[in-house]
Amino acid sequence: MAIAPKANIVREDLLRVEGVTKIFDGVVKAVDNVSLTVAIGEIFALLGGSGCGKSTLLRMLAGFEAPSKGKIFLAGEDITNLPPYQRPINMMFQSYALFPHLTVWENIAFGLRRDHMPKEQIVERVESMLSLVQLTKYAKRKPHQLSGGQQQRVALARSLAKRPKLLLLDEPLGALDKKLRETTQLELVNIIEEVGVTCVLVTHDQEEAMTMASRIAVMSEGYFLQVGSPDEIYEMPNSRQVADFIGNVNIFDGVVEEDESDHVTVRCNDCLHYVGHGISGNSGMSVGVALRPEKILLTKEKPTGEYNWCEGEVTEIAYFGAYTTYHLKLNSGKVIKAQELNNTRDLSCGLTWGDRAFAQWSDLAMVVLTQ
Amino acid sequence: MNTNMIKWFSQSWMVVVYIFLYMPIVTLVIFSFNDSQLVTVWSHASMRWYAALMNDSDLIAAVALSLKIAFFSALISVFFGVFTAFCLNRYKRFSGRTLLSSMATTPLVMPDVIVGLSLLLMLVSMQHWLGYPERGLFTILLGHALLGTAYATVVVTSRLREMDGKLDEAAMDLGCQPFQVFRLVTLPLLLPALVSAFLLTFTLSFDDVVLSSFLSGPGYSTMPMVIFSRARLGLNPTINAVATVTIVVVTFAVIASSFYTSHQERKRRREVAQAYSDTNK
Repeated sequence: MAIAPKANIVREDLLRVEGVTKIFDGVVKAVDNVSLTVAIGEIFALLGGSGCGKSTLLRMLAGFEAPSKGKIFLAGEDITNLPPYQRPINMMFQSYALFPHLTVWENIAFGLRRDHMPKEQIVERVESMLSLVQLTKYAKRKPHQLSGGQQQRVALARSLAKRPKLLLLDEPLGALDKKLRETTQLELVNIIEEVGVTCVLVTHDQEEAMTMASRIAVMSEGYFLQVGSPDEIYEMPNSRQVADFIGNVNIFDGVVEEDESDHVTVRCNDCLHYVGHGISGNSGMSVGVALRPEKILLTKEKPTGEYNWCEGEVTEIAYFGAYTTYHLKLNSGKVIKAQELNNTRDLSCGLTWGDRAFAQWSDLAMVVLTQ
Repeated sequence: MNTNMIKWFSQSWMVVVYIFLYMPIVTLVIFSFNDSQLVTVWSHASMRWYAALMNDSDLIAAVALSLKIAFFSALISVFFGVFTAFCLNRYKRFSGRTLLSSMATTPLVMPDVIVGLSLLLMLVSMQHWLGYPERGLFTILLGHALLGTAYATVVVTSRLREMDGKLDEAAMDLGCQPFQVFRLVTLPLLLPALVSAFLLTFTLSFDDVVLSSFLSGPGYSTMPMVIFSRARLGLNPTINAVATVTIVVVTFAVIASSFYTSHQERKRRREVAQAYSDTNK
């Protein structure tokens, strides 16, 4: 399977989190025995729904919360008990938290002044930050005189100004509208890569995590479900929860019939799956077969093979322009989703509501989930 | 009710409110220009009582004392109010927090007479045992500051509550120690609340007669006390004159401050609109 090259390069570890647990009020386990390492220059995303503990973990990295158990190391130094103002870590807040009484220039210089940096150096650093985020001509404005996207760039410049070893991003695009998000996403990654700062970002938006991060940790109830590169997480989810959380997925419940080293077959209600790789399981085991909607081909003609297809009735059609999503009700009553690319203008597969249709897929399209 | 009736009702109600609130004040202003020795009988217009006011050294001394007490008690109130509000808002858990939050604002609902009486009893026994403090300027100041602190706490608390707590964290993240956060971020953002708390406690102190009466000593009479005592002896038209001067000053200050606030708000809205239209170009 293909792994993005940037994740393959071996680099020195910058951040090491060892068995960190956070318990609130003696009972609520917000973060449960989490360990992770982040290499220098990496962009690491903590992805999960609200209340999964990702923000608490980030706040412990920043120093706003103290871990109940475990240790945090930055560049080999134990920073577990350092207050936020002594950590070489800066954070970009979700709401940006720009100081409303200070101008853009003063906001960016704020952290530098606390370090008693000489005046000429402050001027130089602030100017370079302003040109980095292309806000030089807005230097004298107050935050309320800027649009959302500009405020976000000021927040980024402010958090980068002190040249932190680690940059924390809390839902970096959460406050922007959808259209602005896409352009800002790439802009943000470009700036971070230009500066070369190591990044930990928190998000609930899987697209944001996939486009920005080199590695993603999927979190739920305080622990990591899976850690891996975006394509690993998407194409090789290790559990139903991960498969379900990242993107759309159809999960067929079934029982393993044949279990060979180079393939397995799984018998389900509606079809027989022939999976082109081995699994760590045995025959007779109950498993889930995860199949992404975009990997399904819909036809009106019955496929010839004996496996990897099923028959159903089209119950919903949602047209998205670039692609169309069909809901197919199988004979057992199960509904699956199939996504067809609209690569010609006449909506090639020509299916409409109530049509009988056949869904088929290749033997490398699905993932067997044993848990 | 149709819209016409609602309009008619609103307008007549407005007139009723205006008459109710401002008729007495208008009467007072008019009668301050009355030449007659008798407060309630109009003879003809003159500035006689204003001239008399200039020579009334008792009254002028009382006004000066009132201003002095109002100024300093407002300062003290705002100082204590800020720290009380800050403790209550920023530190969610410390022993006695709930007690403090309810006790700090109790003077708001406690009748002035009771506050004044209890303070007097305390001060008298203190003076008896310690020989200090002599009743006078200091004790009035103390009473006013006590009442003012409660008001200032309420005003500052409401502002602190709507302030984004993330700003404190951002400041700490950028290298501020806790006291620097307070000095560089919290305090500047609280400034408008501090100004309004100051003005509120200033006026509270300036027009207080109950606490002052309990707490003053010989030779220390505030303006409201003087007016009150003279009114009991039979109204002297000089009082009308001094009241008119006070009203003019207060009105001017209120108009100026509201004009300033609305101007700032308009400017701010314009700038926000400008920022958004800039980016959409």
